[in-house]
Amino acid sequence: MKNPFIFILSSLFISTCALASTPQQQLTQLAAAGNGVIKLNAETFDLLTSPKRTWSASIQLTALDPRRRCNPCKEFDPSFQAVAKAWSNVSPKTRDEHFFATLDFDNGSSVFQKLGLASAPIVYNYPAADGPRKASRTSPAKYDFSDGFDPAPLAEFLSNLTPVTIPYKAPIDFTRWITFTVGALGAAIFLRFLFPIVNNRWSWAAGVVLTSLVMTSGYMFTRIRNVPYTGPNGNWVASGYQTQFGQEVQVVAFTYGLLAFSFLMLTLVVPYQSSPQRQRIQVYLWTGVIMIVYSVLVSLFRVKNRGYPFKLFL
Amino acid sequence: MNTAYPVPIDVPKSTIRNTASLLRIVALSLISGAAIASRLFAVINFESIIHEFDPWFNYRATRILAAKGFYEFWNWFDPTAWYPLGRVVGGTVYPGLMATSGVIYNVLHALNMPVDIRNICVLLAPGFSAFTAWATYMFTKEMKDESAGLLAAALIGIAPGYISRSVAGSYDNEAIAIFLLMFTFYCWIKALKQGSALFGTIAAVFYFYMVAAWGGYVFITNMIPLHALVLMLMNRFSNRLYVAYCSWYAIGTLASMQVPFVGFQPVSTSEHMGALGVFGLLQIIAFIRLVRSHVSAKQFDQLLSGVGVLIGILGALAFAFLTYKGKIAPWTGRFYSLWDTAYAKKHIPIIASVSEHQPTAWPSFFMDLQFLIFAFPAGVILCFKELRDEHLFVIIYAIMASYFAGVMVRLMLTLTPVVCVASAVALSSLLDTYIDPTEPRPEVEDRTDAVSEAGSVATNGSSTPHPNGQSKKAKKAAAAAPQTPKGALGDFIAATTPTPKGTAPRQKGIFGIDARLVVIINVLSMLFFFVFHCTWVTSNAYSSPSVVLASQNPDGSQHIIDDFREAYYWLRMNTPKDAVVMSWWDYGYQIAGMADRPTLVDNNTWNNTHIATVGRAMASSEENAYPILRKHDVDYVLVIFGGLIGYSGDDINKFLWMVRIAQGVWPDEIQESNYFTPQGEYRIDDRASPIMKNSLMYKMSYYRFNELFGGGQGQDRVRQQPVPKVGPTLDYIEEAFTSENWIVRIFQVKKEDPLGRDHKSANAFAQGKKRKHSKPAPRRRALVA
Repeated sequence: MKNPFIFILSSLFISTCALASTPQQQLTQLAAAGNGVIKLNAETFDLLTSPKRTWSASIQLTALDPRRRCNPCKEFDPSFQAVAKAWSNVSPKTRDEHFFATLDFDNGSSVFQKLGLASAPIVYNYPAADGPRKASRTSPAKYDFSDGFDPAPLAEFLSNLTPVTIPYKAPIDFTRWITFTVGALGAAIFLRFLFPIVNNRWSWAAGVVLTSLVMTSGYMFTRIRNVPYTGPNGNWVASGYQTQFGQEVQVVAFTYGLLAFSFLMLTLVVPYQSSPQRQRIQVYLWTGVIMIVYSVLVSLFRVKNRGYPFKLFL
Repeated sequence: MNTAYPVPIDVPKSTIRNTASLLRIVALSLISGAAIASRLFAVINFESIIHEFDPWFNYRATRILAAKGFYEFWNWFDPTAWYPLGRVVGGTVYPGLMATSGVIYNVLHALNMPVDIRNICVLLAPGFSAFTAWATYMFTKEMKDESAGLLAAALIGIAPGYISRSVAGSYDNEAIAIFLLMFTFYCWIKALKQGSALFGTIAAVFYFYMVAAWGGYVFITNMIPLHALVLMLMNRFSNRLYVAYCSWYAIGTLASMQVPFVGFQPVSTSEHMGALGVFGLLQIIAFIRLVRSHVSAKQFDQLLSGVGVLIGILGALAFAFLTYKGKIAPWTGRFYSLWDTAYAKKHIPIIASVSEHQPTAWPSFFMDLQFLIFAFPAGVILCFKELRDEHLFVIIYAIMASYFAGVMVRLMLTLTPVVCVASAVALSSLLDTYIDPTEPRPEVEDRTDAVSEAGSVATNGSSTPHPNGQSKKAKKAAAAAPQTPKGALGDFIAATTPTPKGTAPRQKGIFGIDARLVVIINVLSMLFFFVFHCTWVTSNAYSSPSVVLASQNPDGSQHIIDDFREAYYWLRMNTPKDAVVMSWWDYGYQIAGMADRPTLVDNNTWNNTHIATVGRAMASSEENAYPILRKHDVDYVLVIFGGLIGYSGDDINKFLWMVRIAQGVWPDEIQESNYFTPQGEYRIDDRASPIMKNSLMYKMSYYRFNELFGGGQGQDRVRQQPVPKVGPTLDYIEEAFTSENWIVRIFQVKKEDPLGRDHKSANAFAQGKKRKHSKPAPRRRALVA
């Protein structure tokens, strides 16, 4: 509780004698005013990234104005703020060696032009260009969003650049824990009612078969590659043998399931039919289903693999 | 007698039995023939050559084994790999494959059959596929009966999912491993069924063979304990299980520790802890059962709550403590990335970069398994219907393998056997039902009469007589009261739930010949289609050696592109024996095998830093790369470039992985984003980023590329982009060799300038002087020297 007090005092003190302050002090002051994040405009951007800088900086280039309709910007901003906030807990001496700043497109479109940026959000890290912390490479490094917009990978990445590791800790996800606890308790209470289901082999069979159907339809591919559910223009078949969309998992799994079900009907159910006429109809019905659905499946495969030479009735 | 088609009734049982067993032998040998023959496309279309990358190392090691004997091989230190580190081959290799070939080689030579070791290596995989078919037959026979076994053997013999890793020339560990996998599983099932310590021991011996042959043995190490655990959870503990598991685990684990590469892992890593835990659990349960049979129920309850819980808690605590103290290693990255699929990309890019470690899209499943992929769930359901101990194994195997195959293309290989087994069970049940000549009676009749008749018909008519199957079938065929139909789903549920006691079993059978024929013809045509599919896939997709590429001339004839061997032989013939070649790790084994030159890195990706060093050199500018090259004594740099003929597996396409791997070790120096355009595109034309254009890899790939186009602008046929009008220039290295289609380009690293200048200024000086005299470029001069 002591630190913030001193911090406010010192910032007050600095602001009173702002005229004599160095750029770094100015920036410290701006950072204090912005709750750890400097709100930049074109001039302060030049100040922060001056070629003589003895400090390093992480700059978020974003467009938060609703008119810009930048949803990723809105999604990412809280993460950046959270990491910056974590940084403001570092002891003041090291803290002022590194700044967090954000530049909105509407406050500094000239900067965006100068950097040749056409998209947002972007995080640039400017290493120190002068002084004791001078880095071997002074050009900025860009943060790669391949790990998503979460704060943890951002903090991990930025920690390479800051004088000390950013003390970022992910907040405890209470909703998740509560859901989990409630779920577990509910399961424990309803165990009596669930027991016949758990104990029934056919519920397990359904689970096993559904799982393997979904897995053999490329579900893990969509999970790992984060492919969209459908393509543009409602096109649900991804062209190309090595890719697929989310919807294809459902269609293909359903097709496989239907075919397997027809096999099972023919094997397990039809033989028990006691009326010859009804049995004959069922045999023809399920054989027809197999032939037609299989033809559809093969033609779907021909869409994916253009070189496939075979086709059935379709 | 009421049959759908005439059946001879006066054939003695022994005749049927003998004919059936003769037919089985004939069928199995035909299946073996088909399995071997369909894998020979690679030899017929191309030649008897070792394929791809890893097989080249296996082949090289086998040659050493055959030439110098096993002890030399065991103690072999290879100074030419991982230059300058070297590699202890004997201790870092699964020797099963090489030992197998060595044994075959020595046996044949002892019989005065002087077969070349290369031909043994090329044909090992097809040969073992015949054994796999047999092992699958034995395994499926335990699940259902011989006819299902034969079907399964035929399916796995030609299924592309297995052929993809076992064509002639694909001399890799998987070639023998799938046979060992299936045979170990068969022995385990047999041991479990009979409670036989003998079969448990045989399972352990083949498990040892598997451990010596393939890293995928961990799949067995976890499948069998999982099966045992599920059996215990289902309250199916039996003395059979105890004997089978203990004999397998004790002998198998001790044996597996004899492989130097495995060593003490079976008692110290997480992958193997499941097996140990289940072993302990079995002992506890067996002990509790022993006590229960000796004390009264009340005392037993007190004992159980006391001792059982205590042992369990102590065991779990000990396990947690040892993991915490680091005595038990956590899951290794390769296996861990199967569960946490994002892990590899983040932490071990080398694993994520391999193409066979990518996730599988559904067309690959269909390509590899065709109609089996949907007959397979039906087979799983049929296993649930019977649900004996061995069926549980198939069910567990099915669910685990389909998950793994979804995560990694490569593990399609482990899915294929279970798919073949399950779909063989499904198809053969279907065929059994519809081939069975017994015709049910439409009305309810006298039960005892029906039983005797149905029994006798089944005995005579069933295509594969089996004493147990017959009596069961006869029982099932017993006629009885029909039930009211309740729609398809209702029927399905009724058929799958066992008939309640007291009510008579329902009548089962098919009326008429046409219903039979429709179904049988449908199934047969699907099987025929499968054969055509497999033949097409094998000949078109899986038989390319990838060392030799094929393309088609305008008249349709085959044109062989042989750039790789051309370049490797150039290296072999024109460079000193100790010249160090740097290339991306994919080509390390091939360079060692075909060019016989030391390499910096190869496909045995054990040293991430060393690989990252190569990536760093490739990704840096010439000035920065030169000291790295000199420090590692690199004489030649080899790159693969497909831009001229459109070979997409080239180094420019792999370049981002080199950057990523280098970035993992030198994050300050190499950053992936620098190799993209500001718009985030990966380009090689005018808009490519300066760092990209200055990287060694880019310069080597496009050096003099424009000259091919008569000084005009070159077009990269892989990236479909025009290359910059002004091509890159080289100062520190010079072109030494470029193959016919430009796929392989070799550059020589210049020695330090004799006058102590850096090469850039030396070159500028030389060019300044040359300009007056005009011509020849310094590159030419060096080539002559």
